[in-house]
Amino acid sequence: MRLPNSRKAREAGFAYIVLLPAIAYFLVYFFYPIVVELWASFFRGQPLIGQSEFAGFDNYRQALMDSRVRAAFGRTVVFATLGTVFTLVPALCLAAILSGPIKAATTIRAIIFFPYIISFVIVALMWKSLLDPYTGILNALLSYLDLPTQNWLSTPSTALPTIVAITVWKDIGYAMLIYIAAIQGIPKDLYEAAEVDGASPAQRFRRITIPLLMPTTLFLAVISTIGHLQDLSAPYLLTGGGPAEATRLYALHVYEAAFLELNIGYASALSFLMFVAILVITFLQFRFLNREVVY
Amino acid sequence: MKLANRLSRCIAVALCLYGVGGAARAETLKVYWNAGHAYQAYADVIKKFEADHPGWTVEWGRFQWPDLRTKLVADLSVGNAPDLVAEPGGWVPEFGLQGMITPLNDFVAKDGKEMGYPQDWQDFSVERNTIDGKYYGIQLHLTCAALVYNVDMLKEAGFDKPPANWQEFREVAIATSKRGRFGFAPNQVATYYTPWIYQNGGALYDAAVKKVAFDSPQSAQAIQFVADLIHKDKAAPLPVAGADYEGPQKLFTAGRAAMILTGPWDVSPIKTGNPKLNWDVAPSLTEKQQATMAGGVSLFIPKTAKHPAEAWDLLKRFVALDTELAASLPNGMTMPRKSWAADPKVKADPVLGKFSQCLPYAVDSAAKLALTGKNAVVQDLFKTAVQDILYNDRPAQEVLSDYAARANAALANK
Repeated sequence: MRLPNSRKAREAGFAYIVLLPAIAYFLVYFFYPIVVELWASFFRGQPLIGQSEFAGFDNYRQALMDSRVRAAFGRTVVFATLGTVFTLVPALCLAAILSGPIKAATTIRAIIFFPYIISFVIVALMWKSLLDPYTGILNALLSYLDLPTQNWLSTPSTALPTIVAITVWKDIGYAMLIYIAAIQGIPKDLYEAAEVDGASPAQRFRRITIPLLMPTTLFLAVISTIGHLQDLSAPYLLTGGGPAEATRLYALHVYEAAFLELNIGYASALSFLMFVAILVITFLQFRFLNREVVY
Repeated sequence: MKLANRLSRCIAVALCLYGVGGAARAETLKVYWNAGHAYQAYADVIKKFEADHPGWTVEWGRFQWPDLRTKLVADLSVGNAPDLVAEPGGWVPEFGLQGMITPLNDFVAKDGKEMGYPQDWQDFSVERNTIDGKYYGIQLHLTCAALVYNVDMLKEAGFDKPPANWQEFREVAIATSKRGRFGFAPNQVATYYTPWIYQNGGALYDAAVKKVAFDSPQSAQAIQFVADLIHKDKAAPLPVAGADYEGPQKLFTAGRAAMILTGPWDVSPIKTGNPKLNWDVAPSLTEKQQATMAGGVSLFIPKTAKHPAEAWDLLKRFVALDTELAASLPNGMTMPRKSWAADPKVKADPVLGKFSQCLPYAVDSAAKLALTGKNAVVQDLFKTAVQDILYNDRPAQEVLSDYAARANAALANK
């Protein structure tokens, strides 16, 4: 039955009125800062807080030519890739195991999920204490086992992997829960039919579970990648970007340009470049992962 | 219609009530402070200020320095400036040059004689807060780093007195190192390496040629000396990377390090962390000259502060001699007033007296550099250079030359 146009218009109007607070919220807290940041990125100095002068595209040019920026971006891409892969793969395996008839599955899920709800400040303090090369439990344990102790966060080659491991430890529970919810949504008769056809559990997992979880994997991959690309708290709280810039991720570089160097215009340009990079990376993820998605 | 009338009356009454309430509404003075300096003496000052200003409340925000800076910059950008800000050194010229700080000359002209400013302040503490004859900040604490050592560990290794020069320092550091214990615990914060540079006759910045000087042979020798203590002599640990400066103090307090380089800010944590520790403060080392790093907190009033007069009143109370004495004696913090240094109680205090002795030869690495407006950029590059030398065990001269070139490029880039 078709609605008369006047009624349609009234309903649409009402819908917009109801949506207005949400739209206003997004405009004020998301769209407006992006516009301000874009505006600030064309100024040299301290737009918003002090003296500044119009710089055109100089900030962008400087950012693209800066070797420290390129290094920070490369490091961040590595961090995001490792963080996403090492979160999603174990999370999927854990979800598959804990979706089955396991004793105390609920308790184990809760334990694995628990780090996700802790503030990263507490996580950082805890891990810094555990990993302290001289007073930490982990090195004491290695020493007890007659194994060489490690400067986990103070060795340039191990600092970034250590930070990746800590973020994975924190995030894995969330990815696991999403996967469990998705696994529970897969029709049981598909597994039964496969079983009748003689498929082993590993084959059922590879041929049914993984393909049908692709929409979930796409969602988690996109969310996790964006989160890692924007991550400031991990390097800021754990290493301060050190040792010797080994964990100076892009967001930390931007933060220091803005808040320590008071170079607000340049930091805005850096932020906008990352915004564009995230758009491109997300587009690529949709482009390539979507091919595998079975809806 | 009736409903409309009632509504309009209600609104009118509400507005009247708001107006009356607004007239008597309490005013708030926003103060940004360092969390480690929330001494009882300052809490008492605030209490007294509120008692003397009925209807006023002091919102005493306490943060770690990096968080304070982040909050300050964010607040300035949205026009929500605090009324009074404590800063760790270097921010006053930096923000002052940007026109973000209220010059205090009018206030000083009115109250300076009574409060003793600037004549009762150590000259250097006035200089570091003055730009082109304008006072942009007032020094609250004046600190310097000295050699803090574990008396028992040195005695056990056969040393009755602390080292006085680099050679002696190295000998003591090696002799006091054993499994699970280090002779010296270096800091991961790059500023803590400047004393070695100054002692060797080097500098961080040369204002005459407007270039950095941390790539000079003297500076490179200094950083290499510390790197060798770590990598060659195994008498010092690699500092734990992080965002804080407490690592060495924690090792020292736990009895895991015989010597550290620190200032009065670590006195309270050492005393409370290990009351039985037998420790003392030694004068700074003398290599080519006796020198150390200067530091200390200053107070300033942002340009866009809503209550500058009240902020000044509170500032005066914070820097009063009585407050300085009340804050310094229990906490071991050194202060900028000459009359404080001359006070018998300060002279008699074993720790305070020793820390105040290094003030005359202390160097503020940010003083001249901050006037370039590039202090943060240069300090960041210096920090990265020092970490590159220490953590990657690379030759100091090579690394410092590389980073100095970048720092000079940043200084030349207006």
